[in-house]
Amino acid sequence: MEPDAQLVERCLRGDGPAWEELVRRHARRVYNLCYRFTGNPTAAEDLSQDVFLRVYRTLASYQPAQGAFPTWLARLSRNLLIDHYRRTRRDRLTDSLDDAMPHLEAQNSPAPTPETQALSGELSAQLQQGLARLSPELREAVILRDLQGLEYNEIQMVLQIPEGTVKSRINRGRVELARVLEEMGMRPA
Amino acid sequence: MDWNCTLTEEALSDFLDGALAPAERAALSAHAAECEVCAQMVERVGGMIRRLHALAPVEEPDYLQARILNVTLGPRSSESVFQRWLGWLGEIGQPRFAMGVVTVVASLAIVLHAVGPSLRTVKAADLAPANVVRRADRGVHLSYARAARFVSDLRVVYEIQSRFASQPEPKTSPSPGPASNPATSEPRDKSRTPPDSTGGGTRGGELAAQVIGYW
Repeated sequence: MEPDAQLVERCLRGDGPAWEELVRRHARRVYNLCYRFTGNPTAAEDLSQDVFLRVYRTLASYQPAQGAFPTWLARLSRNLLIDHYRRTRRDRLTDSLDDAMPHLEAQNSPAPTPETQALSGELSAQLQQGLARLSPELREAVILRDLQGLEYNEIQMVLQIPEGTVKSRINRGRVELARVLEEMGMRPA
Repeated sequence: MDWNCTLTEEALSDFLDGALAPAERAALSAHAAECEVCAQMVERVGGMIRRLHALAPVEEPDYLQARILNVTLGPRSSESVFQRWLGWLGEIGQPRFAMGVVTVVASLAIVLHAVGPSLRTVKAADLAPANVVRRADRGVHLSYARAARFVSDLRVVYEIQSRFASQPEPKTSPSPGPASNPATSEPRDKSRTPPDSTGGGTRGGELAAQVIGYW
């Protein structure tokens, strides 16, 4: 399989099929990141499109020496997700993130997706609800680590924060999520 | 090494990820063996992480990639044409379409077998353009001649019928019945009757002779 960096070079030379391959290769990862963060399939679609639009426009700024393409992609995605979160927070006219998020996402939650139905509406849906009750800082750390499978140094590059803070957020996020899931009646595997 | 519940919570991720130093790992394990709260926390968080890792990725909608490519590369007409072709071809796979095709083919086979030329008698020379044109021209002229003859015959028949219908009925008809008044009762049958077969046929024969003379 052709490395991402070569595909990027081809894209910069105006190679359309190379861009199509990049989109095909990374669309699911970006969509999952957006979906797990927002809990809303429609918002995840719109955000995924925005992510790739921004990637397309700023592709020349990608430097392979500074990290892998998925890491760079995750950083762009994360920035857009935070922008989206702040925008929706202003729309909600509330300052209380932890209290507002579950309320907002419960309101915006659409009908169960096929994916959640496949898991009997239990495991995935409960994890999604639990994620929605975390603060955005803890939520993104847990998603990047445990759902996207990024290493600590990659998360550090994505979030642009010190490694110690990354570890702390992941740890706190995991403990908090486990506590929330227990409150929801979810037993450990 | 002294250990407590606060340290357990702080080092939990490193412990579960296998990134904790051996000495600290041993201390945490020893503490959790005696502390029910820490043991439950390790079990709870560890179980949750396993669930997260086992969670299958959510499948993005089918149209998402096309949507992304449309906003970046612009609408791609070639792909839409291709998709339309695919959609059209997809209809062929439908049982209803297949049944329709079979029915049409069977019907054509029956009709061709009945009226059309047999494929066994077709020779290579028959496929020459000049022969095809000649046969088509002959067929057209024959069809026209048949149609003209049919119309002409029809006009004769209706003319005879109208002449019969225009004759006044005899007032002294002794016994009304089909045989006594053939012109009004069954004109079609009588038009085919020979002129000298009945009494009324004499008059019909005269009329027929007039009509034939007219034509």
